[in-house]
Amino acid sequence: MTSHNDVNTPSRRDLLSGAAAATGALVVGFWMPPRAAAQESNQGFNPEGATWAVDAAVKEVNAWVVVSPDDTVTIRIAQTELGQGVWTSNAMMVAEELQCDWSKVRPQYASANRDAQEMAPEWTLNVPGKGATDPFGGGEPDFGTRARLGTEGIPDTLYRRMRTNAAASVRDGRYYLQLAGAEARERLLLAAARSWGVPVAEVSSANSVITHRPTGRTTTYGQVAALAAQIPHPAPDRIRIKPPSEWTLMGTERRNLDVPHKVTGKAVYGIDVRLPGMKWAAVKTCPVYGGKLKSYDFERVRNRGGVISAVEIPITDPALIRGRMFSEGIAIIADHWYQAKSALDDMPIAWDVPPENAARNTANIRATLIAALDKPGKVRANVGDVDRALAGGARIIEATYSTPYLPRARMEPGNATVLVTDDRVDIWIGDQSPQETRYSASQITGIPEKNVYLHMCHLGGGFGRNGNGPQAEQAIYLANKNRGTPIHLLWTREEDFIGTTYRAMSVARLRAALDADGWPIAIEVRTAMDENAPGAIASFDKASRYYVPNYRFTTHTATFHIPVGTRRGVGQPAHDFYRESFIDELAHAAGKDPYLYRRELIARTDLPYKDDMLKALDTAAQMSGWGRPLPRGTVRTIGLEERGAESGGHATLSAQVNTISISKQGEVRVLRVDIAHEEGFSLVNPLTVRKQIEGMVTWFYNDAMYQECNVADGRIVENNFDRFPLSRLKENPPEINITFFKTEHWLRGMGHDRSTTLQSGIADAVFQITGKRYRDLPLRNHDLTWS
Amino acid sequence: MAIELTVNGVRHSVDVAPETPLLWVIRDHLGLTGTKFSCGIAQCGACTLHLEGQPVRSCSVPVSTAAGKAVTTIEGLSRDGTHPVQLAWIELDVPQCGYCQSGMIMRAVALLNEHRNPTDAEIDAGMTNACRCSTYHRVRQAVRLAASKMPAGGRTL
Repeated sequence: MTSHNDVNTPSRRDLLSGAAAATGALVVGFWMPPRAAAQESNQGFNPEGATWAVDAAVKEVNAWVVVSPDDTVTIRIAQTELGQGVWTSNAMMVAEELQCDWSKVRPQYASANRDAQEMAPEWTLNVPGKGATDPFGGGEPDFGTRARLGTEGIPDTLYRRMRTNAAASVRDGRYYLQLAGAEARERLLLAAARSWGVPVAEVSSANSVITHRPTGRTTTYGQVAALAAQIPHPAPDRIRIKPPSEWTLMGTERRNLDVPHKVTGKAVYGIDVRLPGMKWAAVKTCPVYGGKLKSYDFERVRNRGGVISAVEIPITDPALIRGRMFSEGIAIIADHWYQAKSALDDMPIAWDVPPENAARNTANIRATLIAALDKPGKVRANVGDVDRALAGGARIIEATYSTPYLPRARMEPGNATVLVTDDRVDIWIGDQSPQETRYSASQITGIPEKNVYLHMCHLGGGFGRNGNGPQAEQAIYLANKNRGTPIHLLWTREEDFIGTTYRAMSVARLRAALDADGWPIAIEVRTAMDENAPGAIASFDKASRYYVPNYRFTTHTATFHIPVGTRRGVGQPAHDFYRESFIDELAHAAGKDPYLYRRELIARTDLPYKDDMLKALDTAAQMSGWGRPLPRGTVRTIGLEERGAESGGHATLSAQVNTISISKQGEVRVLRVDIAHEEGFSLVNPLTVRKQIEGMVTWFYNDAMYQECNVADGRIVENNFDRFPLSRLKENPPEINITFFKTEHWLRGMGHDRSTTLQSGIADAVFQITGKRYRDLPLRNHDLTWS
Repeated sequence: MAIELTVNGVRHSVDVAPETPLLWVIRDHLGLTGTKFSCGIAQCGACTLHLEGQPVRSCSVPVSTAAGKAVTTIEGLSRDGTHPVQLAWIELDVPQCGYCQSGMIMRAVALLNEHRNPTDAEIDAGMTNACRCSTYHRVRQAVRLAASKMPAGGRTL
């Protein structure tokens, strides 16, 4: 269980002989494919910042932990670092139990190939308790479907969950990563006890040093690791993990372990991979999704310097490759990428575009969605008698909101490097679902999945699974057509806007009946978006978060050709904008303070975490000096963010107050934000959580103010950072205050759906200051001036 | 066509089309991958490096413009990652995904070379690179911290 044979067999020898020895026994290097290894690399590729799995030169203690004789601890990470800090927080969860010297921890990606071929150790499979009430504080991860492929659940394969999505890396990994650290620690203690001939009960460890308490003798993990690797744990099902009250590393602010390489340029992203004999590919796919390649004239560019070939890319059967190659395309392969890219720019290409897709534009998509609101929808919640209450309310408030198509637009354009030989596929990539990519590679090449190897790189942002196909599928396809030659595919920024899926455009119509005192007696919510869009039920499902005796929520759909997917926060950012904007509108209609209005409506509910939501609201309001006078043209706005408040169990709750000024010329400035965020029983790395929140403040500022992708003639209009602007430092709030407060449950996750209410907060500031209520994002499309 | 460049103090002769952007010569021909490609149209600044000490967006600078001139990339900023800006970036844990940070750091170094103790307005005006993770909050603090670490007497590069 703790050793592995015949995995990586073709590579191990090459890897060890070709590698540069670094710290202790940890081998830092990069595997050279047998064919390519025959050629000498003279391109100066510096692998120091490489992150992919390599076999340890000493035997591992278990699949997660390798301890070298010099006490360096290699911790294998099964999720992808894309800025969310998982490289550090996952390592912290192992190291907490391992009780090793944190300064000697070196993370490394776990092998996806090995994960697919070995089953998880028995002791990681069963949960010894139920949720937050577990006496050991173990908690209960969401096991879900346990399928290795797909996006849900925790599989039973070696590293359990290898995908990176749903803000779930810490939530789902905590239990078995703590177990992995504990199992390794206990075996190291056992090895020390055995070497000294003393009972294991007499030895303990801290900071990688093992002490025999009666005699004061000491040794280190590094000195006994080789022995520990041979001693199985006698009763692994009895391994106990520490509850938060015993944590000493988890819960403390730790700088991220990937940062040092990111300030020197040494971190290796997918785009930085260089292999001997490697050729580059630039790609154009039809900008109208579903389009086919009609013709192209390669002869016009064939003789240019460096240009090698043109390769047509078909739309592969979506059942085989997670449905993510959306259009046909054409690639040019050249010695260098810029040669390929400029030849492609100058090559005449004609597309065969489906006329029904080409007929789509923003206006008719929006009109279709608005019309869908009046067609029968799927009932998601229905409490009381909404229709009767709406008929009898003192005042009816109705508002229709919309949000546009939005891409993730991470900074690293899509890329992948692939070498296909007769019996093996190697892929160098930053990837959020490595098992899906391995499956795709097998389907496209016909090479058995066990011979597909992924070499994981850091990702230059993800923001909702941007690090998933079809860049991988395209590169695999091209490399399969050029077997024996490593092909590095890189998208232009414009192609990256085509290769991505989008957060679906959506519309919502909310209606409320208010009683004579301004409290809602009925709320009806209707939303409409693409039927394939994820997150349709977010923020409104099952029960209204704000008390109302009659509540109905229906979702409505239409179908469009723009591919939709999970963008940061999935359904929540748009739905939080709708919900919190509407509550603001109701509060203003009632003539009540938006903070106290929310407070009263939360207090009247019987939601499981209502006290925590009240605490979030109260804390944020207090931090901000809510109610204190502000100069003319400056206001405070407030919003409540929750995930899971309706159901109990895992949840994440926070509230945010924004202090916003708008000049008479319409210039919006977010002067400060005050955020109260729960920490549950404990956060794992509060520094990472702070950084994520700081980032999301700006992210949702961008969404509120600037970002949209329009559709014209069936294609996305805004496809680079000129027309799709990103805010800069000068617009960032000068003050971001964050307070964490304790609650009695485990967090649902964080990193994608906080600060969403800055959107409604800015819109409400516009209303309060200018008197104009805008319900369609982004706000840059509206007149924000006042006098 | 052979073009002479001095990159991080080392002279190179590269045989490329003269219109090839400096970025691609640095990344593909010289193998210095710390400088990043993102937009290709000089909008985001991920490709920022120094040409004769001035920050440029190298995705849009033809290599011919750099002929005979001195180029400094993130790899040449310090021998061992101890430039005051790099130290400040580590101390405040600035990077998230990190992809834009080479360019962001090169921009910060240029700002601090120009303004030894930049005001907030000078930081606003100088730090014009885009970061999609939105590390701006820490970038601002780190620029201030780096200023306090800079040796007396101005330029560090």
